[in-house]
Amino acid sequence: MRRPRSAAARWAVWSVSLGLLCAAAAWRLAPHPINTDMLAMLPAEQGTQALTAATDRSRDAFVRQVLVLVSGADDAATRAAATAALKSLDTAGLKTDDSGATMNGVLALYQEHHYSLLDPDEAARLATGGASAYAKDVAVNLASPVGLISSFETDPGGYLAGFLGSLPRPYGDFLPDGRFFSALKGEKRYYLLSLESPDTGFSAQSMQVTRAVQAAHAAATQACPACSFQATGAPLFADRARSEAQAETLWLSAASMLLIMVLIAYVFRSLAPHVLAALQLVASVLAACAAVIVCFGSIQILTLVFGTTLLGIAIDYALLYFAEYWFGDGDPTKVIRAVRPGLYMGLLTGVAAFAFLLLAGFPALLQIAVFSIAGLLEAALVVVLIFPVTLTARPTVKEHPAVRWPQAFIAAACRPSRWRMLLPAAALLLSIPGWCMLSESDDVRDLQQLPPELVQTDAAIRSTLDQVPPPGFFLVEGKDLDEALSREETLFAKLDAKLADATPLGLSRFLPSAQRQAASLAAWGKVFAQPAELRKALAQLGLPAELADHMQAGWQSAGHEPLSAADLFKAAPDLERFIIPESGGVALLSTVMGKSEFDAGALDATAAGVPGALFEAPLTRIAATFHRIRVRTTWLVVVGYLLISGLLVWRYGRREALRMLYTPLLALGITLGMLGWLGDPVNIFVVVALILILGLGRDYTVFLREGGARRRSPALAVTLSALTMLCSFGLLALSQVPALHVFGLATLAGILASYLSAPLSLPPEP
Amino acid sequence: MRLRSALLCMLLLTAAAVTHFDSRFTQTRSLLGFSKPLVSHGVIRFDQAHGFYWEMTDPYHYVFQMKGDEAVQTLPDGSVKYLKAEQTPWLAAVQHIIVDALSGNRSELERYFSLKVTPMSQGEHVDLTPKSGAMREAIVSIEVTESAPGHPQKIAIRETSGDSMDISFTAPAP
Repeated sequence: MRRPRSAAARWAVWSVSLGLLCAAAAWRLAPHPINTDMLAMLPAEQGTQALTAATDRSRDAFVRQVLVLVSGADDAATRAAATAALKSLDTAGLKTDDSGATMNGVLALYQEHHYSLLDPDEAARLATGGASAYAKDVAVNLASPVGLISSFETDPGGYLAGFLGSLPRPYGDFLPDGRFFSALKGEKRYYLLSLESPDTGFSAQSMQVTRAVQAAHAAATQACPACSFQATGAPLFADRARSEAQAETLWLSAASMLLIMVLIAYVFRSLAPHVLAALQLVASVLAACAAVIVCFGSIQILTLVFGTTLLGIAIDYALLYFAEYWFGDGDPTKVIRAVRPGLYMGLLTGVAAFAFLLLAGFPALLQIAVFSIAGLLEAALVVVLIFPVTLTARPTVKEHPAVRWPQAFIAAACRPSRWRMLLPAAALLLSIPGWCMLSESDDVRDLQQLPPELVQTDAAIRSTLDQVPPPGFFLVEGKDLDEALSREETLFAKLDAKLADATPLGLSRFLPSAQRQAASLAAWGKVFAQPAELRKALAQLGLPAELADHMQAGWQSAGHEPLSAADLFKAAPDLERFIIPESGGVALLSTVMGKSEFDAGALDATAAGVPGALFEAPLTRIAATFHRIRVRTTWLVVVGYLLISGLLVWRYGRREALRMLYTPLLALGITLGMLGWLGDPVNIFVVVALILILGLGRDYTVFLREGGARRRSPALAVTLSALTMLCSFGLLALSQVPALHVFGLATLAGILASYLSAPLSLPPEP
Repeated sequence: MRLRSALLCMLLLTAAAVTHFDSRFTQTRSLLGFSKPLVSHGVIRFDQAHGFYWEMTDPYHYVFQMKGDEAVQTLPDGSVKYLKAEQTPWLAAVQHIIVDALSGNRSELERYFSLKVTPMSQGEHVDLTPKSGAMREAIVSIEVTESAPGHPQKIAIRETSGDSMDISFTAPAP
C-alpha cells in the first residue's frame, strides 16, 4: 500500500478512518450508551440454562427493588404521608408490590380447596387418630386465642387459618395493609412500600428512581412534616455511584489536562504542542469510545473512568515527537524517522500488553483492553500522519534548565557507580516485608464506594424490618412441577430442622405438592368415613352432636379436587415467578429469609442433601470468578512478558534484553512492596496496574535505547512521559472509588520506580 | 368469621382501660344452624406480674398462658403445647395486644374500632364499630358494659354471619 505523501491525503486518511469508526459506533449505539451496572461487567454465568435464568431473575429482582419506609407517632398522619408518597411514586411509574391484594385474591381459592391443605403433621395425626383427633382440634380451636380471625363455618379445626398464618411473610412483622405493609413498633406506626422500578435500563432506571424517591419524600413531608421517610434499594446506590463517578471523572480529567498543559507550555513555550496534543487526545478518546461501542453497544462507567487515564498514554507518543522536534539535533523533516523505531516498539509492546487482557474472559477488562488498544493506535496514527505535515518549520525555542536536567539525570545515572547496585538492592530489601504483608481481595463489594448515609439508611430499614437480605437462592429441578415441588418441600423441611431461624420462601409454601395434597384429602376421608365416631368424639368433649352433622355436610358438599398450579397462578400471577422453565423439566427458584445472616456453607450443604437442589450464592460466585480471572490474568501477563522478552532479545540481543527486562521487574517488586506496607489488597485492578507498569517500564527503556542514552530528546520525552503519567494515573489515587484508588496508587508507585530505574537498563558509560 | 373470644376479651378490656383483671366468665356462642348455643365456662386473669391466663373449665379443660414471648397451651387431653411467635404469626399480634392491655393503651383497639364511650351511674358503656378491613367483614357491633369503673360485666358481639357471642363476667376467680 502506498503511503500518502501530501498533507491533504494524510488529513483525509486520518479523518475518514476516524469518521468511519464513529459512524459504526453511532449505528451500534444502545439507547443508554453509558452503563453503570457493575454486575453487568461480570462474566456470563457458567452453568445450566435454569441456573443462568435463575441468576438473571434474582439479579433483576435485586437491582429493581426499592423499599420506602414512612413512620410516625400519629397513625392517621403517617398513613396520609405514606399515601402521598405512594401516589407520587405511582405517578413516576414505579410498580407497587401488591402481595396484599394478591393474597386477598387467593384466599377464596384456598378456602375452596382447604381440605387439600393439611400440613404433613396434621394429615398424619388425622389419618392416625381419625374423628377423635379432629374433635380435639376443634375443641382447642374453639377455645384458643391464637389466631385473630377464622371461619368456624368452613374451618372448625382451624387448619386453614394455620395454613394461611404460615404463609411466608416477605417483611417479617409487617402485614399486608392495602397497598402497604404496616406494623406498630413501640410508639411508632410504620408503613412499608415495596416497589419495583421500571425496566428502562440500569442507568436510566436508577436516575428515574432517585428522582421519584425525592418527589415522594417531598410529598410525604408535606402531608406529615413530623413523619420520617427512609428509602433504600440498588437503584439509589447505583445513581449515587454514577453521579459520583461522573463528578470524579470530570475533575480528574480537568486536573490531569491542566497539569499536562502547564507542563507542555513550560517546556515547549509554544501553542502548537497544545493544539496537536489536544487533537491527539480528543481523537484517541473518541476512537477508544467508538471502538468499545462498536464491540459492545454501550460503554461501562468504569471503562470511561479508566479511559481518562488514557490521556497520559495518548500524549506519550506526542511527547516523543515534540521532544525530538523542538530539542532534537536533526532537521524537522527527519523527526518522524528519528522517533519511529521507539514509537513503533512502544506501540507494539503496549498493544501486546493490552491484547493479552482480551483473553482474560472478564467483560470489564475486555472493554478496557479494547478502549486502550484503540486509543493507542489512534494516538500513534495522529503522530505518524498529522504531526509531520503540521510541524514543518524549524522551532526557535532555546534550551532551558527543564530541558537539560532530564538529560543530566540520565547521564549521571548511567555513570559506573556502586549506587547502581546498592539503591535497587536497598529498595528491594525494603519491599520484602511489604511482600510478606500483602493481602488479596476478590470481593466485588470492596471495589465500590458505598455512600455512608445510604448504607446507614439501608441498615436502619433492615433493622426495622428485622430482616437481612438472603445470601443467595436455591434452585430445585424436577422432571415436572410436581417433582420439583416435592423436592422443595423436602429441602424446606431440612432447613427447618437445621436452621431454626430460617424462613424458606418458595412456591411449595403456597402450593403443596400433589403427594402432600393427596395425603391431606385421604386423612379427611378417614375422619368423615365414620360419622358416628365423630359425633361420639365431640359429645365426649361436651360439644353438640349436630356439630358433627354440620362438618359432615361441609365435607360432602365440598369438591375434593386438589389445588392446581393453573388455578393458583390465575389468582396470583406473581407466584409464577418462582418457576424457571427448562428443557426436559421444571426448576423452582426459592430462597431463605431470616433475622440474621446465614452461613452460605450450611445452606449449600443442606441443598446438597436433596436430589435436584442446589444453593447459589451470587457474591461467593462472583468472588470466585474474580479470583479465577485474577489468577488467569496474572499468568497471561507472565506469558505476555515472556513473549515481549523474545521480541527484545531478537532486537537487542540476550544480554541487553535481560538488562532491559530487569528494571520493569524491579518497579513491579517495589510497587507490590509499597501496597503491602500500606495494607492495600491485591485485586484484579492492581493486576491491571501491574500490567501497565511493566508496559511503561519497557517503553522507557526502549525509548532511551532507540533514541540514544546520551541524547537530549529521548531523555526529555521519557521524563515528560513519566510526569504526564503521574498527572493522569497518579491522580486516580485520590479517587473515592476503592478500585480506582488502589489502581492509581499502584501506578503512581510503579511509574515513579520505572522512571527512576530506567537508566539502569542502559549499560554504564563513563 | 369470628373473633377469638379470649383475644376479644383482652381487646375489650383495654377499651375499659382495665390494666388488671381476675374473673370467672360464661361464654354463650350462638351459631347459625345450631339449635342450641355452645356454652362454656372458665377463668380469665391478667396483670403486669403474671401476664395473661385463660382457662376454660367446662365443657372441657383448656388453658392458654402467655407471659413475655412465651405462650403455652394445655390441651383437653392434658398434653402441653408450647408456641413460638415466629412459628405462629398471629401470636405476635396477641402479644402486642396483651402488652397494650397491661399498659392501659387503647391505641391498638382504636386502630380497628371507632369507640363511643357513654358514662353510666356505675362505670361506662362502650360501643365499638369496626373501622374497615377484615374486622368490619366479621363484626357488626360490640358492646361492653361495666358494673363499676374498671369492672366489665358483659360483652356482647354480633357477627355479620348471624352468629353472636355473649361473655359475662360473674365473680373473681377463686
